[in-house]
Amino acid sequence: MISEAHGAASPRGRGSPGAVGSPRLPHLSRRAALGTVLGGALASGLSGCAPGGGASRISLHQSKPEAIPHFRDLLEQFNGRHRGSIHVDHDISANLSSAFARGNPPDLACMNYNFEMLRFQERGALSDLSDLAEEARIAPTVQALVDQFPTYPGRTSVIPYSMMAAAVLYNEEIFAEHDLEIPTTYSAFIEVCETLEEAGVSPIYSTYAEPWTVAQGLLDYSIGGSIDVADFLAQLWELGPDAGPDAPVSFSKDLREPLEKMQRIAAFSQPGADAREYGDGNLAFARGEAAMYFQGPWALTDIAVANPDARIGIFPLPMTEDPDDRKVRVHLDLALWIPEDASDPGAARELLRFLITPEVADAYNQEHLGFGVREDSPDVTDERLQDLQSYVDRAAFYQGISQAVPRTIPFENYAQGIVTGQSLEGTLRTLDEDWARLARR
Amino acid sequence: MFSLSITLPAVMGIFYSFTDSIGFGEYEFVGLTNYAVMFSDPAILSAYGFTLGVALCTVVLVNIAALGLALGLTSRIRARTTLRTVFVLPMVVSGIIIAFVFQFVFSHTLPAAGQALGIGALEQSILADPNLAWIAVVLVTAWQATPQAMLIYIAGLMTVPKDVYEAAGIDGASGWQQLRNITLPLISGFVLINVIIGFKDFLSTYEIIVGLTDGGPGTATRSVAMAIFAGFEDGDYAYQMANSTIFFLITLAIALVQLRLTRGNARV
Repeated sequence: MISEAHGAASPRGRGSPGAVGSPRLPHLSRRAALGTVLGGALASGLSGCAPGGGASRISLHQSKPEAIPHFRDLLEQFNGRHRGSIHVDHDISANLSSAFARGNPPDLACMNYNFEMLRFQERGALSDLSDLAEEARIAPTVQALVDQFPTYPGRTSVIPYSMMAAAVLYNEEIFAEHDLEIPTTYSAFIEVCETLEEAGVSPIYSTYAEPWTVAQGLLDYSIGGSIDVADFLAQLWELGPDAGPDAPVSFSKDLREPLEKMQRIAAFSQPGADAREYGDGNLAFARGEAAMYFQGPWALTDIAVANPDARIGIFPLPMTEDPDDRKVRVHLDLALWIPEDASDPGAARELLRFLITPEVADAYNQEHLGFGVREDSPDVTDERLQDLQSYVDRAAFYQGISQAVPRTIPFENYAQGIVTGQSLEGTLRTLDEDWARLARR
Repeated sequence: MFSLSITLPAVMGIFYSFTDSIGFGEYEFVGLTNYAVMFSDPAILSAYGFTLGVALCTVVLVNIAALGLALGLTSRIRARTTLRTVFVLPMVVSGIIIAFVFQFVFSHTLPAAGQALGIGALEQSILADPNLAWIAVVLVTAWQATPQAMLIYIAGLMTVPKDVYEAAGIDGASGWQQLRNITLPLISGFVLINVIIGFKDFLSTYEIIVGLTDGGPGTATRSVAMAIFAGFEDGDYAYQMANSTIFFLITLAIALVQLRLTRGNARV
């Protein structure tokens, strides 16, 4: 979960160059035997396998800030169990591209799966895990999320690990105070907002100063609730360089109506939203300064810290007049993969096996508000998220469109532009042209 | 060896700009496609427009401020050394920290002050206004860059002999006349250095923008350097290499102009 996590940790999620240029050191056996834990960037540079007799030294790439302590403990367990044969370093640096460019990718990665992974997968940089995938018994509905992206022929490149579901967070006390029910249609949603506004309560807290919050919240919910995102993107890819505002499928045509509805919803935000950031939003929402907040479950931890008594519920944003159309936004928050160039694939696979054992995987998901990805995963235990379980069970979910547009198109910035007063029509036209331009090169 | 280590990466970058590489793995030659697409890409063109505009404004602002401060700090005033130290402080603070501090000032402190004092113009953060956000970028970049320019001006003013002013004073020249007709011509070399070095630095401005606006609102403050860096992170390596090649040619042109001008100046 690159952008979500970094929203919290390093506000922009950029500018961390990772371990640039640290060379592989060949003679590490003594260090490995001592079991020195070298954290972070250094570890990625030292992950060359130890020659002659000592433990095989591999690296696990896992940089989701809030999960780092959890994985540190897991690795201690694993290292203890394999003392003398395998030693795993915990690589928490963020920049994958440079690691691949240096020819020194992590041995096992456990990280957010989104469009960015595609270029590694598509060019055959990830090894085949089909035998382990069988052991992992991934639920078909979850596997379908991976299969939405072009895969490398004949390979299972990625094994899902944890899925996160996001929808509209709401303050139960404010809803109760104003006798409001959870809206199940778009018009009911607008009515809720109007009622709140008349009562002098800000219906929605928005944090436009950080583009990713607009894209992953308002925009993803509005589009995902209106159209079949995966199908739309598949058609766009097919068009390639022929894409454009006048093509049969286009941003201009297909997203216009959902985004006009989004603009109407966005207008119910608190005054001054333009200058507010993610951290401001968590704090203000925790204090009850607005009734609804378009953020994922990752914000719940911060909200609980700011106000342990806050009663927060969650519901999918209705975008049509049919309650059955409601869907939640999901993403594969963590997925596992092993590069072709891994220094010791055997050891990496051993570690992967350990991570997918039900006890380990379920404990992780329970602690980090994730949904399990196995066929027989237990239901989510956090009561705030229980309302989403039924949507997950019947696969009433979509992957956010913001995660599927190549990042070289500044999609999040465009989303921010739309809610801060730039022309919707112009932005959609730009998107169409960007898409075609990308396909041409 | 030294020149090789500098030239080689540049040549490789130019080489990759003719391919569809993503920074690693296989690639194919695509000829001039990247360049052709680039010149019709409004995102790239507007990044150039923004970057050049900001660099020009910042250069003007920095040089006026730096010269003013330098004149003040070389005149006979109290606590001169202390003041000089204070004014140099922004130079030693990292740009990203400055940017985050100012980000807070612009989006929280100033609007709060505007509300308390009833100044309507301040109530809205200028970072959130696509038409005004560039002003914040100019101000903060200038704030950080002024001390260096100021030091160069102080050094320059010290080279001007005192007796010229004494003679001018006897002839009845006013302070402004002295500045225009004596000081400025005598330190013109320093002005030139400040303008050209400054302009070149401001063209590659990066961390201040990342900290202040991250290129937003929308794409209003996306600089060329940001586009290039994003290209590497986001798998658009070859395309942004084409962009860097053009950017390199522009800065090279400026450097050549600088060489020419300073050489000419030295002869005077």
